Amino acid sequence: MITAYVRLEVRRTLRDAGFTISTIGVPVMMYLLFTNLGTDDGSFATAAMVGMAAYGALGAALSLGTGVAEDKSTGWLRQLRVTPMTPRQVVTGRALTGSVVVLPAIAGVLLAGGLANGVRMAAWQWAAVALTLWLGSLPFTLLGIGNGYRLSAQTTGVVNVACNLGLAVVGGLWFPTVLFPSWLRTISEYTPTNRFAELGVAMTEGTAPGAGALAVLAVWTALFGMYAAVSYRRSARTV
Amino acid sequence: MTNEPAVAFEAASKAYGPVRAVDGLDLAVPPGETVALLGRNGAGKSTAIGLLLGLDTPDSGRVRLFGGAPAGAVAAGRVGAMLQEGRPVPRVTVRELLTFVARTYPSPMPVAEALALAGLTALADRRVERLSGGQVQRVRFAVALAGNPELIVLDEPTNALDVEARQEFWDAMRGYARRGNTVLFSTHYLEEADAHADRIVVLDSGRILADGTGEELKRAAGGGLVAFDLAGGPTEWLGTLPGVTSVEIRGDRARLRTDDSDATVRALAARDAIRSLEVAPVSLNDAFLALTHKPAAALKEPEPTR
Repeated sequence: MITAYVRLEVRRTLRDAGFTISTIGVPVMMYLLFTNLGTDDGSFATAAMVGMAAYGALGAALSLGTGVAEDKSTGWLRQLRVTPMTPRQVVTGRALTGSVVVLPAIAGVLLAGGLANGVRMAAWQWAAVALTLWLGSLPFTLLGIGNGYRLSAQTTGVVNVACNLGLAVVGGLWFPTVLFPSWLRTISEYTPTNRFAELGVAMTEGTAPGAGALAVLAVWTALFGMYAAVSYRRSARTV
Repeated sequence: MTNEPAVAFEAASKAYGPVRAVDGLDLAVPPGETVALLGRNGAGKSTAIGLLLGLDTPDSGRVRLFGGAPAGAVAAGRVGAMLQEGRPVPRVTVRELLTFVARTYPSPMPVAEALALAGLTALADRRVERLSGGQVQRVRFAVALAGNPELIVLDEPTNALDVEARQEFWDAMRGYARRGNTVLFSTHYLEEADAHADRIVVLDSGRILADGTGEELKRAAGGGLVAFDLAGGPTEWLGTLPGVTSVEIRGDRARLRTDDSDATVRALAARDAIRSLEVAPVSLNDAFLALTHKPAAALKEPEPTR
């Protein structure tokens, strides 16, 4: 039942041109642009690849919430409530959909890194980077779902874009945090996006992810998870 | 199976703020029956349907489907519903949508059959959001029956349909009802309720005003209608005529509802008040108005779009 639902929702998501462009096209384009302006010793191409793949995954995960809000306003969520699917299955299916639709975003940037920018790593490292980014996108999926259930369709769009850009920039997905003033760098270290990218970078360097990164991400996952659960419960009564 | 009613409201009430949308509703629908919930906008039809589907819970009283809680019947796949509000779900084809809905039910009908029943076979591979209003309505009907449920609930199913589409819709609905399924639909069109339901339940202000076949409602509303031109004559005496139950003056014409039209006509003739005299059995429309005591204009107002 959930599989059928996930299949339907993945189809619907990938058919959304806006989604495809903003979560695959834009990160790939920005990656190629940033890494080919000026000279580079090759390390930036790798770090930026992880940053931009993380940015794409972040956008895809958040846009899931925009989809939820849209479904709320069209009455689709209400229609689902009169099918044998339970609300819990619906929200689980949504989260699983999120985990599927972040994949093309991650794959797009990694492919651009490997094919266009000549990033070279061991095969296990490629796999580890992809897997880390994939699993690490969970808190953002939860944040998106929380926004989608809590807010109206228009507000969700705006809030998700704000979350997307804010978390991406402050988290250092676009520009390395070494360019930041020290106070901003301190803030950045507490953002989920910064630690999300850190995990990916650790994989490219073949090192184990730091305990600090895992702890910060775990806290954010718990927070966003609670946010999603509370928003969902509140709206399930009114949808 | 026991002979549990498919649908049972037991003194169910639901208020939104000060408005008692559904007010002590008692209603039992046996399996296999086609029932129309007839009422003006705001009569409580949609609220009743929301309670029935478990989308809302009653403040007091209870609602049972097949002898259990609505949520249980819905989860067991015994119910399909066509809800009133909402735009079509975007970026899926008709077939994809129905295939998905069918999979959520334990014993669905083949998708091809649902498509055929709703007259959608030719549109199966079109995107739902690119269909016309009438076609979308048929998709929603197909969604309601794709799971082959025992009970389908249709909230104002023919809103936004033209005459021809409406006819096709009712044909499809009857086809489904003939299989022994229970159908409950709401409407504010009397003719629809009369033509397509075994039984009409008239709702007003969240209460049941009448419950029976179209014929029974006409009988309940009383006898006939006698109309004649006043020709400027006085009107006060009309209410005292034998048989007359209500008097309505429209311009120069008096319309008397009577439970003994013969006696009324004789009395009028004795007063020589028979210009353009007309005697008619009460129509279902009149019966409905007599029951709700509301002007006809309010009845045909289109639902506000949400």
